[in-house]
Amino acid sequence: MIRQVDKIFGQAVAFLDRSRRVGWVDLALVAGLGGTIYGLVHLSRQWTGALRPAVEIDLSLSALPGYTLLSLSRGLVAYLLSLLFTLGYGYWAARDRLAERVLIPALDILQSIPVLGFMPGVVLGLVGLFPHSNTGLELASVIMIFTGQAWNMTFSFYHSLRSLPRDLTEVATLSRFGWWQRFRWVELPFSAIGLIWNSMMSMAGGWFFLMVSEAFVLGDKDFRLPGLGSYMSVAVSRGDGRAMLGAVVAMVLMIVALDQLLWRPVVVWSQKFRVEESGQTETMTSWFLDLLQRSRLVAGAGSALRRLARFRSPRPPRPSAATPPRPAGRGPGAAISLALFLAVIALLAWGTVDLVGLLRHVPGATWGGISREASLTLLRVLAATALGTLWTLPAGLAIGLSPRLSRVLQPVVQVVASFPAPMLFPAAVAVLSALGVGLDLGSVVLMLLGTQWYILFNVIAGATAIPADLREAARIYRIGTWQRFRELYLPAVFPYLVTGWVTAAGGAWNASIVSEYMSFRGQVIAATGLGARISIAASSADFGVLAAAIAVMAAMVALFNRLVWRRLNAMAEVRFSVSR
Amino acid sequence: MVEATATATALSDGEALCELRHVDKEFPQAGGPPLRVLQDINIAIRPNEVVALLGPSGCGKSTILRILAGLTEPSGGEVRYHAAPLVGLNPGIGFVFQSFALYPWMTVTQNVEAVLKAQGLAPEEVASRGARAIRMVGLAGFEEAYPRQLSGGMKQRVGMARAFSLDPEMLFMDEPFSQVDALTAESLRAEVLDLWAAKDSNPSSIVMVSHDIKEVVFMADRIVLLDANPGRVRTVVENTLPRPRDYRSPGLLHLVDRLHDIITGMEMPDEPVGVPAAAPTFEPLPFAGAGEILGLLEYLDARGGQEDVFRIGSDTDQEFGKLMGVVNAAELLDLVDTPRRTVVLSPRGAQLVKASAVERQSLWREAILGLRLFQVVRDAMERQERHQVDRDFVLEIVAVNMPNEDYERMFGTFVNWGRYAGLFDYDEASERLSAA
Repeated sequence: MIRQVDKIFGQAVAFLDRSRRVGWVDLALVAGLGGTIYGLVHLSRQWTGALRPAVEIDLSLSALPGYTLLSLSRGLVAYLLSLLFTLGYGYWAARDRLAERVLIPALDILQSIPVLGFMPGVVLGLVGLFPHSNTGLELASVIMIFTGQAWNMTFSFYHSLRSLPRDLTEVATLSRFGWWQRFRWVELPFSAIGLIWNSMMSMAGGWFFLMVSEAFVLGDKDFRLPGLGSYMSVAVSRGDGRAMLGAVVAMVLMIVALDQLLWRPVVVWSQKFRVEESGQTETMTSWFLDLLQRSRLVAGAGSALRRLARFRSPRPPRPSAATPPRPAGRGPGAAISLALFLAVIALLAWGTVDLVGLLRHVPGATWGGISREASLTLLRVLAATALGTLWTLPAGLAIGLSPRLSRVLQPVVQVVASFPAPMLFPAAVAVLSALGVGLDLGSVVLMLLGTQWYILFNVIAGATAIPADLREAARIYRIGTWQRFRELYLPAVFPYLVTGWVTAAGGAWNASIVSEYMSFRGQVIAATGLGARISIAASSADFGVLAAAIAVMAAMVALFNRLVWRRLNAMAEVRFSVSR
Repeated sequence: MVEATATATALSDGEALCELRHVDKEFPQAGGPPLRVLQDINIAIRPNEVVALLGPSGCGKSTILRILAGLTEPSGGEVRYHAAPLVGLNPGIGFVFQSFALYPWMTVTQNVEAVLKAQGLAPEEVASRGARAIRMVGLAGFEEAYPRQLSGGMKQRVGMARAFSLDPEMLFMDEPFSQVDALTAESLRAEVLDLWAAKDSNPSSIVMVSHDIKEVVFMADRIVLLDANPGRVRTVVENTLPRPRDYRSPGLLHLVDRLHDIITGMEMPDEPVGVPAAAPTFEPLPFAGAGEILGLLEYLDARGGQEDVFRIGSDTDQEFGKLMGVVNAAELLDLVDTPRRTVVLSPRGAQLVKASAVERQSLWREAILGLRLFQVVRDAMERQERHQVDRDFVLEIVAVNMPNEDYERMFGTFVNWGRYAGLFDYDEASERLSAA
């Protein structure tokens, strides 16, 4: 389907290209630019307007485009924040041996805290900071989306920096690249591809909690920001099927547009940062990138910018042979780094003291309940992961092993996977309750909706990476399907499967918050579980219980990572890696 | 052609461009004593000369080059640049890497210009010097190509353009032609020498690392022969053959031969060193697989039982240092003898080659059980109730008794030999050896 779209657009572009005199492309770009500026003005009015904690959401379909743009802008702002955070945090962790020891475990913990864990602090803090304007509330929403985006990008950037080939860094050292040159010419390009793939994943991750991030209850206060997420949650609580469907369609359109207009061009462009010589043979294309590259307006703006940059950039002083470069690890940079490090330590200590203070007031019986619920949710997470594997393993193998299928289906799977599953929960719950399945079992299905894609993605990637000679050998020796699956496919995709499991299980823990507890047609339905406990504690502003439940969840995720996934991963790398 | 001793290189101060004096280098090993890779290295680079560092793999030749460049700090000793101690990077060098080390996301021009820009040159000068360097190495027309579109030889030309663009006083090259096909390497060598031969312009001197004896004799004025474990300067050979040199000239062939003799003299001592006289000593295991040792025996058997070691090298297309490991291992197991440059099948080796597959295993087992390390581990296994020992047990024996060896690597050889002998099996997951 995407192919088809590409083809049609390709033809359209070819037509427009022939009529270059008119400059259709440039005209369209100017129009697009104008629209963006208008959108920004509209947005700034929303941000600076007087504080309206809960706006009335207009459920008519004509209001939908405006809401969608507002949500889109929040997602993009959150993404920019994530990118800045990633570059700063990742760079620091990779460069400073001392800070690394605190920053990386801290990131691990941050990653396992669900969005509702950040919600009360962020909302109360920021609304308190901007008591009269919407800015605080908007910022809080953006930061909640940010918490769904940032962490895996940061990990990816950090790992790229740590795995820079030695000879490339030696060239930089010998040539006396300054830190900025090193960053721009070596480190950033080397990490670009990983960063971009993770950006796509992160964007999808940010949408996952859009409904929670735009409409949430905190104690006796109801917060609702105008946007697609709020539209959906209002539609759900009123049981308005037409509005729900509209919201789903709007979401799909937004994701497809982002994919075609933003990610695909960036991915295609980023291919020039590939390090390995061979790799994928099929070149990727993007009609939008082609269009941009043909535009005279873009070319003109680009060269103007370059001229400006050359004019503005101060020339670094030429290092003379007499002054040896400062040995690394001293100078003002190190002092700043140390100060920041101490600040982080102080922040962590303060947070710990605060947390302990909160947890002290939680009664023992509540702890017992929480741990019982935690084991129930653990069972659900494992069940969802197992169920997901059951269908994605054969499907992923079928897609990955057939070049034709993977060419057609991979882009579709990508878009489907970016769709935030919680928007489908109402429909799923309706079906489940019609079948007479309660949320205690049903929430497994809801988790599955959100996390199966991670497994599917990884299985597809693993299947495409199976060396052709192994498959040929299996064919020559007439190895039957079942044996082939057990002795070739399963071991070969196992390392990828483990990666999929880790991501899927992490996602399922997070999803438990929205899948074990929801309000549907004006009534609340809940399952017994840690996610439901967190949701209830957040909406009733019971901060002690909330902190306890989230601490337990973070501990469970971290422990499970360490005890199960990491071992599986090590085993997969040693025993089942086909590249070694 | 004067064979100088190592100390003779420490010449008067004023003359040398840069110099290493009594340099040691140790690398920390996880959970063990540091591994000494260089010991008491003395090398001086004089103006207008080509110096080659030649030695087996693992002798630290690349490390020496990186210490001279200021990329690596020595653990002991002194690095001098123009008669003053070197602080930080060596300011007068261009560096050519074995792996090319080009930024794949930059075009040829961008790769060269990045280095110039980092020096803070004006944009016009960056462009003109970059273009000149690219023309110099014959890359005109490839300015906008990306490295992945170029062949190995072309990539190394970019590496050289980048090094020349700074007009360096010294050109450092780390096995520059080993990843380039043979014909291209030939022309690159000649081109580098042409650029160097223009006496009034830079580079004044070239320091190169190589393991190719012919290449070294063709290019260098002085050849520093290094010994491994730990790396030491064995001897320095002056090469006064007139330039331009011809690979087939008697003088060049004679020098190649002489280098062969020196290397075999130090790699394959005729007198077995350290004969277990009083206390039984542990023999370090050379890095060679059982399959390779068997292959050497088969090779010798097919050639009437003996062959010149350099002939073996060129026949089997083996890197010399690697081959030496295999020959030394075979000699350690008393499967071959090495009178001077020839390798001769011993009676035991002949017996092994002629045996059936099953007999081979028991003969092999007999051979390795002549080594102390295998005896000790076997005895330890027999004492254990479950006939198992841990990997760490073996590592510790190696670390304590052979402190200069890379014990992880030796453990690999140990497992390989023992498995082939059917002496024990090794489980990677539990890191445990169990008797077969």
